[in-house]
Amino acid sequence: MKRSIIHLLMISPLVLLLIELFIIEVNDPIKYIYTVTGVASTVILFFSITISMIKHKINLMKFRKDIGLFGFFYALLHMINFIVFDAQLDIVFIFEETIDKPFIYLGTIAFFILLFMAITSTKRLYKKYSHCHRAVYFALLLITIHFVMAQKTIDIDLLCYIIAILVIAYYKLLQIIVRNNKV
Amino acid sequence: MNIIKKPSWHISENEVTPQELFDKRRSFIKLGAASLITSGAIIEALAKDNIPVPNLKYIKDKNIDNLKLNTYEQITSYNNFYEFTTSKEGVKDLAHTLDTSNWQIEIDGLVEKPFTLHLEDLISKMTIEERIYRFRCVEGWSMVVPWNGFALKDLIKMAKPLSNAKYVRFETLYDDDMFPDQRRGIFASIEYPYVEGLRMDEAMNDLSFLAVGLYGSRLPNQNGAPIRLVVPWKYGFKSIKSIVKISFVEEEPLNTWQKANSKEYGFYANVNPNVDHPRWSQKRERVLGKFFKQKTLMFNGYEKEVAHLYKGMDLRKYI
Repeated sequence: MKRSIIHLLMISPLVLLLIELFIIEVNDPIKYIYTVTGVASTVILFFSITISMIKHKINLMKFRKDIGLFGFFYALLHMINFIVFDAQLDIVFIFEETIDKPFIYLGTIAFFILLFMAITSTKRLYKKYSHCHRAVYFALLLITIHFVMAQKTIDIDLLCYIIAILVIAYYKLLQIIVRNNKV
Repeated sequence: MNIIKKPSWHISENEVTPQELFDKRRSFIKLGAASLITSGAIIEALAKDNIPVPNLKYIKDKNIDNLKLNTYEQITSYNNFYEFTTSKEGVKDLAHTLDTSNWQIEIDGLVEKPFTLHLEDLISKMTIEERIYRFRCVEGWSMVVPWNGFALKDLIKMAKPLSNAKYVRFETLYDDDMFPDQRRGIFASIEYPYVEGLRMDEAMNDLSFLAVGLYGSRLPNQNGAPIRLVVPWKYGFKSIKSIVKISFVEEEPLNTWQKANSKEYGFYANVNPNVDHPRWSQKRERVLGKFFKQKTLMFNGYEKEVAHLYKGMDLRKYI
């Protein structure tokens, strides 16, 4: 039951995206794909790091891997949008842009961290690489910068996201400090 | 013998209009009127694309470049108008709070005599023409719009600027009852009132245009009603909306986006596929309604008309 609710929630941004693209027909499809997949990935990944903080209230620990993989799935769609629709498979252009523009290489580095984590999320590989999965915090930092850079100005919506991110970061730090002091 | 003497006002039964026909009279008149002003094909197009019935008389653009128009729906539902919201899809629903009745435009600065214009008087003096222009946003999307209005230079001639007037400065309405983002104080997305400017020779160029309509009818609020600038060879943010003040000045005006972020936005903002925005490429553009991008043209395809204005200027420096 819990599992199907979580999966439904995780799939809902994709359903919304497909409805908007093919039934309602948005004006600026490439931009729309960027926004939906980018926001979905960011929100899901931030949510995934709060799971261990709220486990005494709602225990979602056994779904944490699935949720993280959904976060990666939206990041993957975001990347495919860049390569296939935005850059139109122009490899030279993709390479030049990635090297040239901080906005793009920050996002790309974050994507490769998530890719590494997704590959090493199988039982066998996770045993070996679990300590590396802390890199998600670094990825989230890059994602936040990339997200802010994608906007033309700082408006109220963006401020709300930043405040939510800071609150999560604060509690996460507190949790880590408490855990370290116990040892 | 019973002779029925009919009163003078009597109408026999067969002369009376049947009730059901009488009830239909208004729709019948409408139908007749519609067929008078437009052909069947146009009615169909108007209905299909939700285009309002044209209410402007104008000289048609021959569209020699054969540009394919974006639909009325696309043009009026994807707008950057930060006075309402930063969401391009959200502007349309909020824009009803802008009241454009009794609109006045102040002309001041270095002119023979400053004056105030009533927009309706101005429009009645001008010959309205159609201009089909490419419109390219700095964000990377673009569209083709059939504007209606008149050349900016016609208004400038009317204003009689002095010889030391080197630039034209434009200002959008500041009214926090009408524009929600202007009420937000320090949380506003940009600084208000919105300001833009052109060099005098740019303003006098044949392409520089003041639009009061699109698709044959007066501008909807979200597109910058009741009067806006259109400078087709520059990024969209130069084409300032809902103008209330035009000033002739000696110094280059500090336009809103340059003030907000001078590393990314300059005074000139000419469309240029060879000079990237620091965060994204300007080589290609996303035409509204299309999944695939197209190449961006130098000066947005108006190189022949405007390239001479920037001879000898380093376009990497003067962004």
